[in-house]
Amino acid sequence: MFPIWEGVWVHSAMFIAIISAFHVLASHITVAAGWFNLFLERKAVYENRPELYAYLKRSALGLLVFAYVFGAMAGVGIWQSTTAANPRGISALIHNFVLYWGAEWYMFLIDVVGIIAYYYTFGRVSPRTHLKIAWLLALGGTGTLAIIVGILSFKLTPGNWLQSGLSLEGFYNPTFWPQLFMRFFLMFTITGAWALLIASLMPKNFPERERIIRYAAAFGLLGLVLALIVFTTWYYPALPEHARAILFTPAIPSPTFAVIQGGLILTALGLIFALSAPKLQHPLIALGAMGVLFAAIFGAERTREVMRKPDIIHGYMSSNQLVMTDVPAKGIRAEEQPLHERGMMKNLPFLQLPEASSLVGTQPVAREHQLEVGRLLTLQQCSACHSVSPQTSLQIGEKRLELRSLARLLEARNQTTQASIAAYLGAIGGFPYMHPFVGTEAERQAMAAYLAWLVSERRGMEQARR
Amino acid sequence: MLLVATFVLHIFFVTLALGTSGLSLFGFWWKKGNWPTLARLAARVTPNAVGLGIVTGIAPLLFIQVIYDPAWYTANTLTGFWSVAFIFVVMGGYSLAYLFYLKGSPEGRLLWAAAFSLALLFFAGWIMHVLASVSIYPEKWLQWYAPGGAVDTRGMHFHAYNLPRLTLLLPIQALLSLATVLMLLAWYFRKREDFDRSFLDWVASLGRRIALWVVPLFWLAGMGWAATQGRYFDLHGPMEIWFTLLALGLFLFYRSLRNPALQAPQALGVWLVALLNVGIMRELVRAASLERFGYRVAEYPWQLDWGGVTIFVLTTLVGVTVLAFLVGVLYASGSKKEGVEVSPALERLGSVAVGMLGAWFGFFLLLGVYTVIFLR
Repeated sequence: MFPIWEGVWVHSAMFIAIISAFHVLASHITVAAGWFNLFLERKAVYENRPELYAYLKRSALGLLVFAYVFGAMAGVGIWQSTTAANPRGISALIHNFVLYWGAEWYMFLIDVVGIIAYYYTFGRVSPRTHLKIAWLLALGGTGTLAIIVGILSFKLTPGNWLQSGLSLEGFYNPTFWPQLFMRFFLMFTITGAWALLIASLMPKNFPERERIIRYAAAFGLLGLVLALIVFTTWYYPALPEHARAILFTPAIPSPTFAVIQGGLILTALGLIFALSAPKLQHPLIALGAMGVLFAAIFGAERTREVMRKPDIIHGYMSSNQLVMTDVPAKGIRAEEQPLHERGMMKNLPFLQLPEASSLVGTQPVAREHQLEVGRLLTLQQCSACHSVSPQTSLQIGEKRLELRSLARLLEARNQTTQASIAAYLGAIGGFPYMHPFVGTEAERQAMAAYLAWLVSERRGMEQARR
Repeated sequence: MLLVATFVLHIFFVTLALGTSGLSLFGFWWKKGNWPTLARLAARVTPNAVGLGIVTGIAPLLFIQVIYDPAWYTANTLTGFWSVAFIFVVMGGYSLAYLFYLKGSPEGRLLWAAAFSLALLFFAGWIMHVLASVSIYPEKWLQWYAPGGAVDTRGMHFHAYNLPRLTLLLPIQALLSLATVLMLLAWYFRKREDFDRSFLDWVASLGRRIALWVVPLFWLAGMGWAATQGRYFDLHGPMEIWFTLLALGLFLFYRSLRNPALQAPQALGVWLVALLNVGIMRELVRAASLERFGYRVAEYPWQLDWGGVTIFVLTTLVGVTVLAFLVGVLYASGSKKEGVEVSPALERLGSVAVGMLGAWFGFFLLLGVYTVIFLR
C-alpha cells in the first residue's frame, strides 16, 4: 500500500477523468484523421488533384501541434494521475502488460516521428513517398488503439487471466473485440468534426472546400452509425451482468446519459447539416461539435470506468487497492480476508501511525486518536471514489463541487451518528457498486466516528455559509 | 539497461528543448550578427524536441514503474499535486513554444511566450527531479507523509531535491546538448547552397566554444552532486573519479575538434556516451539508496510471459524498420533547398515498412483469434 493522495480542490479521480477525456479526444482524432487524410492524399496522387494538399498541410499542422503531441502528453498525464491517485491499480496493469505497453511505445514513436516527417516533407519529397508516410501514420495510430484497448478492457473483463495468469488471455478478453471496433468507428465521428473544423477554416474560394466538408460529414456519420451498431449488437451484450446492472444505479448520475445521448444526437445533426449544406459550414459549428463530443466522451468514459465498480480490475482488485482474489498461476494471494481478520492498521505500510497504534487492541483510546485512525481508514477505503474531506471540494458561489461527497451522501440517507454509520458500514457491501468494509470491529467504529464528525463539520460549514 | 538506454534518448531531447529555447531567447534579445538567424532555427527545433522528449520519456517511465515500483509510486503519491500538475506544465510550455515558433520567431516578437515557455519547461524538469529525489529517501517517507503524526494527503510539498544534481542534469546538459546540435546543424546544412558557409562555420564554432566553456561547469556540478547526494549514499569516491574522467575526456575531445562542422557526428556519439554515463550514475545512486532496504533490481521477480514477449519483439522489428524509413526521409528531405527524390533504397525501405506495419495487424488479429479459440 502507498500513501494516499486525495487531490487538492479537485478530487484525484476527477483529475484522471479530465485528463483521460482530453486524451481520448486528441488520440482518437489522430487515428481516424490518419485514415481520412490518407483517403484524401490517395485522391491527390491517383486522381491528380494536388489542390487537396492545401487542406492536408493545414490538417497536418493542426494534428502535429494539437492532436499527436497533446495526445501523447495527456497519455503520460494519465499515467501520472493514476499513479498519484491509485498506484496499485496502475501498477497491476503495468506489471501485467509492460511488454504490450513497450510495443505501444513503438507505435507512439511512429505517430510522433511520423507526423513530424509528414508535415515537414510536404512538397519536399515525391508524392508517392509522402503517401507512404500517410499510410504509416494511419496504421501506426490504429496500432496504438489496438494495444491500449486490450489493457483498458482488461479492467472490466479480465476473463481467463484470473485463472491462467496469461497476459494474452487478459489482453484478448471478452470485451476487447467489440470495444476495439466500436472505438475505431467512433473515431471517424470525432475526425469528422475535426476535418469540418479544418475545412471550414480554409478560404471560401478554396476549390475543394465543399467536397472535403461532405467527405468529412459522410465519414463522421458512417462512423457513428457503425459504432452504434457495434455497441448495441456486440459491446453491450458482451458486458458482464454486473456492469449492466450498475448502469442503472445511482452510481452513474442520470444527467450522464442525457449528456452522452444529447452529444451524439447533436453531433449527428451537425454532420447531417454539413453534408446537406456544406456552403454554410462555419468553424464555430465545427468547434461546437467538438465541444459537444468532448462532453459526450467525458460522460462515456466516466460511465465505462464506473461500470466495473467497486473494482479497479474486476474480480481482482477493488478500488481500495486491495487484492481480493488468489491468482495461483501468478503466485498472487488475496489480501482482503487476512486484513479483515487482523485489521488494517499496522498491517499495511503507511497505515501505522504510532499515535494510533493503541487502537489495535482492547484498551480504550482517546477520541482524537480514534478520529485520526478513522480518517486514515476512510482515506484508504473510500477516497478513491468519494470526497472524504473539504480538501477535495471547490466552492463556486452557492455550488460546492465535490465527487460523491461521503458527508453529503450520509446526510442524505440520514446516517449521522457514529452508531448508525457503523451499522451502515457493516451493510455497505450490499450495494452492487460498493465494496464491503475491510477491518476489525474497532476499526469500523473508528471509521464511523470520523464519518459522523465529517457530517457534523459539513453541517457546521453549511450553516456558517448561510 | 533498457531503462538507461531509453533515458539517454529522452534526456537528450528534453535538454535539447531547454537549450534551443534558451538560445532563441538570447539570440533575439542580443540581436547582433548571426544571432537572430540562429535564434529562428532554434525556435523551430524547440517544440519538436519537446514532443520527442515526451514520447521518448514514455519508455523509461514504463521501466521505472515496473522495476522501481515501490519507490516511484510512493514518490508520486507523496508529491501527488505536482505529479499531476506536471503534464499541464509541459502542455503550457509546449504551447507557448509553438506559439513563439509560428507567430513570434519570424520577426523576433512574442519573446514573453518564449520566456514563459522556457520557465515552464524548466519547472516541469524540476518536478521530475523532485519525484526522482523523493523516491530515493525511503527513510523519510513516513515523516513526509505524516509530519507530526497527522497525515497530509495534499502532496504539495517539494520534499527532496539536490541542486547540484539538478544543475547538472538540466541547464548544464541542456547547454551541452545544444552545443552538439549546433555542430550537427552546420554539418547537415553544409551541402545546401542556400546556406551561407560562414554562418554555418560560425554556428559550428559556437557549438564547440559553448562545449568548452560548459564542460568545467559540468565537472563542478558533478563534484557537487558527489559531495552531497553521493556522500549521503557513500558513493562520493567513485562519483568524483567518474565525473573527473568524464569531464576530462569531454574537454579533450572538444578541444581536439579542428573542424566541428565536419566532426559533428562524432560529437553526437561522444555526447550520447557521456549522457549514458550520467544515466548510469543516476541508477547507481538509486540502487545504492534502495540497497539499504534490501531492494535489488537484479532480484526482481520476473515471470516469462510468451505472449507479451512475442508482441514486443515483433513490434520492435516493425517499429525500428518504420522509424528508420521516417528518419531517413526527414534526413533526405532537408538536404536540398527544393526537396529531393529519395534514393531507390529508401523508397524500397518505405514499401517494406508499410508492408510490415500492415502485416503486424494480421499477426495481431491472428494472435487474438488463437488466444480466443485455443487458449480458452
